[in-house]
Amino acid sequence: MQLTNRPPLRGALSALTAALLGTGAAASEGRNRVESSILLYSEVDRVQAAEAIIGLGRALKGDRMLSARLTLDGLTGASPNGATPSARVQTFTRPSGEGGYSVKPGEIPLDDTFKDTRYSFDGSLAQPLDRLTTIVLGAHYSGEHDYTSLGASVGLSRDLNRKNTTLSASAAYSRDRVRPEGGPPDPLSSMSARADDDDDDDAGERELAAQDDDGDDDDDEDRESDAGEGKNVYDVVFGLTQVLNRQTVLRLNYSYNHSSGYLNDPYKIVSVVQGPGGPDAGEPVDYLYEARPDGRAKQAVFAQLRRYLSGHTIDLSYRYFWDDWGVTSQTVELFYRLPVKAGHALQPHVRWYRQTEADFYRVFLVEAAPAPAHASADYRLAPFHAVTAGLQYLFPVGQGVQVSLGGEYYHQAGDISPPRSMGVLSTYELFPDMDAVMVRAGFDYEF
Amino acid sequence: MRRLRFFVLSAGAFALAAVLSGCAAVGVQVWERDVLSKPEMQMDSHALDRALDDHIYFSKEASSGGRSFGGGGCGCN
Repeated sequence: MQLTNRPPLRGALSALTAALLGTGAAASEGRNRVESSILLYSEVDRVQAAEAIIGLGRALKGDRMLSARLTLDGLTGASPNGATPSARVQTFTRPSGEGGYSVKPGEIPLDDTFKDTRYSFDGSLAQPLDRLTTIVLGAHYSGEHDYTSLGASVGLSRDLNRKNTTLSASAAYSRDRVRPEGGPPDPLSSMSARADDDDDDDAGERELAAQDDDGDDDDDEDRESDAGEGKNVYDVVFGLTQVLNRQTVLRLNYSYNHSSGYLNDPYKIVSVVQGPGGPDAGEPVDYLYEARPDGRAKQAVFAQLRRYLSGHTIDLSYRYFWDDWGVTSQTVELFYRLPVKAGHALQPHVRWYRQTEADFYRVFLVEAAPAPAHASADYRLAPFHAVTAGLQYLFPVGQGVQVSLGGEYYHQAGDISPPRSMGVLSTYELFPDMDAVMVRAGFDYEF
Repeated sequence: MRRLRFFVLSAGAFALAAVLSGCAAVGVQVWERDVLSKPEMQMDSHALDRALDDHIYFSKEASSGGRSFGGGGCGCN
């Protein structure tokens, strides 16, 4: 009988690396681990995405653990641009500033030009400092055509009380850079003015080239716009994991995330509509690029309880989230692992989520009303709730190889007709329900 | 604001001390870890699936963090 049957690497280290970087690949001493997961995500009439992750873990001398993770994802389809529906055909400038796209009367405007590929690499090294303390150092890089992120992290964990308690603290910093197509638009500037500006700029540059011999300034300007806009992100997470009894483990986390710099979504706009007194109340007269504050502090407390019940495993978690943009949210998630036969298991899963709106969330702005300092019509800053329900089947296919196949359904519902809507807008769905289907497959091999 | 922060930090430190002293009283002996050592009882089993989830929800909802870092590193639409 193995009295010290603790899971040294798969448990403690994977907990810490996962907390640090989400790199869950961990192997028992002297072994390697390869795991992979593929997700296909499909929204009805909107975005389609495919995402694949491969994680490698290798146990090195002296209980050190090296982990690497490569993520690739591809995205295509249509995403709401933030504008409200109209009784007329609406035409929008494409993000590049060249050409446009039209939206039929009564439809929620979707920008169908989204197409992106993102890849990211995470690496970490876990090093025991003594029998009870481990330090994890990590690095991260990700890139897509208009966004890059480079970061580093450090984490410490310490076991107490005969390893029934684990305390952890980790911190991360990342420097992100946004290079929107067509350059970052000025916040709250008119979309049509920008299209005109682009034409003017071209003409201006030609004029300068013809009559101005001071070309250096132009080059500097070009370089600045090429470099895009920056964003600094700081993260800290404090965690406590506690064995409560022979079948139950509890985890409590507090996380703080601070970002500053360019936090706008450069592709989102807000409609400016005619006021209630006008003949075309609710009809758009202009579209402005959104403007968000240049700082955001997000905090969350998270509690997770896992319990073993005569062969079954229940994992229940709750998160309370708040930030200084006025968003608060609650998330409840439940996984139930049900053994079917030797090594095979079914895992149903439900998730419930509800959020309040950001202070500056505006479905639209009204013509001639005082302009706000910040405004965004991004549906992700709106008040809504969401439900996910899914099922996963887990089974072994050989020595050390575990496979999982599953599917999930995600439903998002908000305020179809917000109280502030008026005129023609009150006849349209301003926050249509969003439905998505996810299919996933995973494998995990230890050798 | 500063007083509030001091109050929150003191309350947090006190709660942590209380929880830790309480923690010493709960838990199991080394020979009682048979169930806890099962793969499905590891708090981070299916870490890749949770990472995929975090990425999807980060790009569809206003919240992030809690389970691990608050996310970032993507201009998700």
